[in-house]
Amino acid sequence: MTTAPTTRVEREDRREYRATRRRDLAVDLSMTLATILAALAIGFLVMLLTGNDPVQAYEAMLTGPLDRSFRVGRWLEDATTLTLLGLSVAIPFRARQISLGAESQVYAGALAAATVAIFLPLPPVAAVVVPMVAAATAGAGMGFVPGAMKARLGANEIVATLMLNAIVVRVYDYLVNGPLKEPGSSAVHSKSIQQDSVLTPLTEWFGIPLGRANVGLFLMLLTAVALWLLITRTPLGYRIRMTGSNPDFAEYGGIRVPRAIEWSFVIGGAVAGLAGAHLVQGVYGRLEPGLAGSLAFEGIVVALLARNNPLVVVVAGLFYSYLRAGGDIMEQQTDVGTEIVVVIQAVIVLLVTAQALPDLLKRRIARRQRRQPIQGDAR
Amino acid sequence: MSAVLDVVLSSAFLAAVLRIATPYLLAAFGGLVAERAGISNIALEGQMLAAACMGALVAGYSGSVALGALCGVALAVLLGLLLAALRLELGADAIIAGIGLNLLASGGTAYAVYTLLDDKGGTSGLKSGSLPTVTLPGVESIPLVGDVLSGQNMITWLAFLAAPLVAWLFYRTRFGFHLRAVGETPDAAESVGIPVRRVQYTGLALSGALAGAAGVFLSMGYVSFFVRDMTAGRGFIALAAVFLGGLRPWGVFLAALGFGAAEALAVQLGTLDVPPQLVSTIPYAMTLVALALYAWRRKRRGLAGGVAASL
Repeated sequence: MTTAPTTRVEREDRREYRATRRRDLAVDLSMTLATILAALAIGFLVMLLTGNDPVQAYEAMLTGPLDRSFRVGRWLEDATTLTLLGLSVAIPFRARQISLGAESQVYAGALAAATVAIFLPLPPVAAVVVPMVAAATAGAGMGFVPGAMKARLGANEIVATLMLNAIVVRVYDYLVNGPLKEPGSSAVHSKSIQQDSVLTPLTEWFGIPLGRANVGLFLMLLTAVALWLLITRTPLGYRIRMTGSNPDFAEYGGIRVPRAIEWSFVIGGAVAGLAGAHLVQGVYGRLEPGLAGSLAFEGIVVALLARNNPLVVVVAGLFYSYLRAGGDIMEQQTDVGTEIVVVIQAVIVLLVTAQALPDLLKRRIARRQRRQPIQGDAR
Repeated sequence: MSAVLDVVLSSAFLAAVLRIATPYLLAAFGGLVAERAGISNIALEGQMLAAACMGALVAGYSGSVALGALCGVALAVLLGLLLAALRLELGADAIIAGIGLNLLASGGTAYAVYTLLDDKGGTSGLKSGSLPTVTLPGVESIPLVGDVLSGQNMITWLAFLAAPLVAWLFYRTRFGFHLRAVGETPDAAESVGIPVRRVQYTGLALSGALAGAAGVFLSMGYVSFFVRDMTAGRGFIALAAVFLGGLRPWGVFLAALGFGAAEALAVQLGTLDVPPQLVSTIPYAMTLVALALYAWRRKRRGLAGGVAASL
């Protein structure tokens, strides 16, 4: 796409630019690692101060998820949903839109997927695909509402998404307890989806027991790559990024900022809808009360930890789910409550958002290497 | 319909409105003070939760309800100062830092309760008691009003007193003037010699104190124990009331009271064969519509770049 550099100045320019990018990436990666280590250290201290044995606890937490194949399956299944939800917020975050609406979108997606997969008889392949498309559409619709309110009217997206969450969660609760409840069942859940709609369990592929992990894992990886391409390699992605880094400049450069904002919400919503489809078609096989738990909010943490880079979100999602799975095993094997994982997660968020730290570091390194102060500092 | 009217006009219902509105009012004023100081406090939820837990635990172990309430509020103030420090000293995004503090409160309280009491659900096994109720002499004998007001918790009284107090603070005191100036344009405030940081720290501490009082009410007034995640999104609703009320004390007062009334109504209608989940969506749907209308009106007035759009 780009022309080869011709002049010496151009070549040097480009080399310097690449060096800066490599340096920034290295700093980003080491900061992420340092953040995780610092958070684990604080968790260690908290356990020590509350009279627990942190070494034993961390041993259970950090080795537990790998010691049996079904535990690996539990981890991968959880990571699939969590990463999809992380991806779903990373896109609006890229446009600097604080969308907290993943919860409404994942439930809308689950409802759509389940309704289609239970009631609409479909031929084999379509039985898997159509519910997912329905889920993505429902999620996108849920994203569109706050997105359009923000883009067209300037309504606060935080309040709008929170209100929408509250509404959708209650409607979901009503439907699962009422119209969609399996008739004659004493427990509260919907009917099971038709067999053809189930996402193939990985157990069938690999021949070892992997719990409820399913081909949704690969779908999640594909989604991450697709979103990365979208953000870094397409005009729409460019518009979203520009809107996020400087809306005034983007507007001045001819980008229709409201459109970019709206799209970021719609795309994010569709991905969260897919997470809902994964829960229904891959994990539970039906609707259950409180299906998504706290995953929607934890997706935010994953996106933040990955600095909203779709490929890094996958790594962060796998890492974070690992902690979640490990936390449960730790609670079974020691006296330490699994909630310590939430505390560690909170510390990660607080450290990640303390932006001044990595920026200071980056600037110092850049200065030392160039021996020349940067002119016109952006901040 | 007349059944509904009977319910709404009963003194028991009106008393319930005051009780249910109490945490919304206090937390919403907390959100208002922070917002006007220029730092969005989305951590209201976590501050309430932490205060509720701390209050019940300290009161349960020390036997002193007052000490518990004080410790609860103090913890919420600390969280408010922490949010201000993250924002002002480390350049953190206030919203994301707020999400972090909410997580910290949710995980921290559950971890503390599980570690201390070996209970996943809450502190119902610990006797911690309630804050005293207040009955004004003479009020009891007034028909309807007497039944509504008498026997309300002291924090409910505080919540309703907070509206005129906050209005007075904002518009009649030097600190309030500084606070509003700092929230509006920190640079201009700085240039005329207002200590911007100090004002913002003070504002966030006050915001935390109000949210803390709301939290203490939940575990030491509304009920007399702490339940895991007992705030149940009230902090976020309070935040919605802040914007719905147009960032003005009396507007916020009406919005928060409206949420309380709607929730009390939902509880009542639940007994009338209407699905309670659907009834309870009404206040949120109303907020969503009001938010859109409010934004639309602002936009027509050409103020789209104002506070509501700046987030």
